[in-house]
Amino acid sequence: MKIRVKLFGTLPQRYPGYDASQGLEVEIPDGAKVKELLARLKIFASDGGLVVIDNLVVQHDDALKEGVSVRIFQSAFGG
Amino acid sequence: MQFIRVNMSAQTVRVEDVPRDYVGLGGRGLTSIMINNEVPPTCDPLGPENKLIFAPGLLSGTSLVNTSRISIGAKSPLTGTIKESNAGGTVAAALGKLGITAIIVEGLAPQGKLFNLIIDQNGNAVLQAADDFKGMRTYALVERLLQDHGEKNGVLCIGPAGEYQLASASIQTSDVDGRPCRAAGRGGLGAVMGVKGIKAIVISRQGKNPDAIADPESFKESAKVFAKAVKDHPFSGQMLGALGTAGLVSAVNSIGAFPSYNATKGVFEGWKKISGEVLAETIQKRGGQTTHMGCSQCIIRCSNVFVDEGGKYVTASLEYETIWSMGGMPGIDDLDVIARLDFLSDDIGLDTINTGVAIGVAMDAGYKEFGDGQAAIELMEEIAKGTEIGKVLGNGPAAVGKHFNHHRVPVVKGQSIAAYDPRGMQGNGVTYATSPMGADHTAGNLVGAYLGGVLNPLEAEGQVKASRKAQIAMASLDCTGLCMLAGAALAAPDVSEALLKMINAKLGTQLGADDIPALGIRVLKAELEFNRNAGFTSKDDRLAKFFYEEPLPPHNKVFVVTDEDLDSTFDFE
Repeated sequence: MKIRVKLFGTLPQRYPGYDASQGLEVEIPDGAKVKELLARLKIFASDGGLVVIDNLVVQHDDALKEGVSVRIFQSAFGG
Repeated sequence: MQFIRVNMSAQTVRVEDVPRDYVGLGGRGLTSIMINNEVPPTCDPLGPENKLIFAPGLLSGTSLVNTSRISIGAKSPLTGTIKESNAGGTVAAALGKLGITAIIVEGLAPQGKLFNLIIDQNGNAVLQAADDFKGMRTYALVERLLQDHGEKNGVLCIGPAGEYQLASASIQTSDVDGRPCRAAGRGGLGAVMGVKGIKAIVISRQGKNPDAIADPESFKESAKVFAKAVKDHPFSGQMLGALGTAGLVSAVNSIGAFPSYNATKGVFEGWKKISGEVLAETIQKRGGQTTHMGCSQCIIRCSNVFVDEGGKYVTASLEYETIWSMGGMPGIDDLDVIARLDFLSDDIGLDTINTGVAIGVAMDAGYKEFGDGQAAIELMEEIAKGTEIGKVLGNGPAAVGKHFNHHRVPVVKGQSIAAYDPRGMQGNGVTYATSPMGADHTAGNLVGAYLGGVLNPLEAEGQVKASRKAQIAMASLDCTGLCMLAGAALAAPDVSEALLKMINAKLGTQLGADDIPALGIRVLKAELEFNRNAGFTSKDDRLAKFFYEEPLPPHNKVFVVTDEDLDSTFDFE
């Protein structure tokens, strides 16, 4: 299935030519989990890897659904 | 270990050794415990009995990185509660290197008289008449003071807002470049400085008399562990240097907790135009600085220098809270306007949070259109001129709400909330409601727990416990002079152990791990006692009513933590 991913913080710098308005389209197996998507994108625990879908933070063990729009952030604590 | 006591009624300056009761205290611990001991809780915040205390942290002036927070305390004219507001810049390290534990300003100068307090490299302090400086804005003021006294000084000062004794007046501090762009913004402490008749405090950065460290070798070793952890942490070592705190704009909008249009929406339509990512790109394109050192001994470098299209300096540093208060709340999606409003706040000497929210409330009440950046700039100038509407705005959102008879005023104890809506981050609502300081995100911010997925931001469960823990941790951290952004590294046990070792090495004590939260609880208890004696009760520990009644899109939630639960926040045992 195809997942639309938008990256934030310094994560976009890892993907030369990344277009912030389009994001990335990533193909992963049906029913893949959030952590598999992160692994595919080479985003590791040390990056934070906060994943938001439909205004909610999701867990790394949650399964992804076809067509969802995913936002990925680095860890953040306060400003 | 010395106090400088300044009596403005008699215009005398006295240097004394730190009394035994206050030894081992620094930062917020010292300001709050001293205010609770020495200031009558029912006094007029703008009267002679109030005291304005400046205290560097316990570790300020040592070799440890990121220890440049100065705590400023008094009874607040905005909230009527005890208040500690801390700021970065250069003065905390400067005072630490002079061996000065606190400056305590007492009494009131004769009406209309202004003075500067000058502290030289030997720690000698004198008051100088400053009538010539009356009405000056802070950038021009600091430029002149550094010309007169030399560049190797740090400055604490007020602008016109402090002289007018407005309840949103800040105390500005100079950064490493000598710009007054760091602020102790919250609580209107600039008004206390103004009524006491002090325009500026100039402090030599060339002191060579810091308090002795009991075990220098142990200190040095632990300081290295701490610095490495700050550098290695993804937040303090990567994200903050690249995007600054503005990196939160995207994240908080993405979880629907960015209060916009005076807290009627949780996602600001224009957030993509004012995000940290776009801010960094804009600064880079124009030749400003996306990574900048604002505070002494900082290795995080969350600061930035925002320039206009011609590459000319506009402001430093444009941060998350200001992008929200001057952007989301009044509905302004133009970074150039927001940067200008940030500069004006620093220059006039105003809390960006309380002032942006005051403008947002005025717009919501129909005084101006949401999103009208030019109108917002003009309103700032009204404050600077001290016109009637300017004074209403400069006294903050509660004064604006009263003036326009408008119900939607996002404050607790008269002070504005920060850039996290309590309906989208329920635990931050607990902190706003119960903090002894009025609504203040720095008292116990849970955004890290929500973004990290360890706490559901929309349910009541777990919020009080999390807020309690965060408020205790912050009360402890605020004693040290450490920047809260470096505090993210403290989650690792070896790093918190290094901090404990440094405190013991500095003071020659044998404190254990439990003594750190115990210090935070001691500070909170002193603050709560002051507030109780000032007449505050649990009924004051509530959010503004509309947070309980008006659902916030996109989650369409209201604040759901019960009063009973709120009242258990400080059940410490």
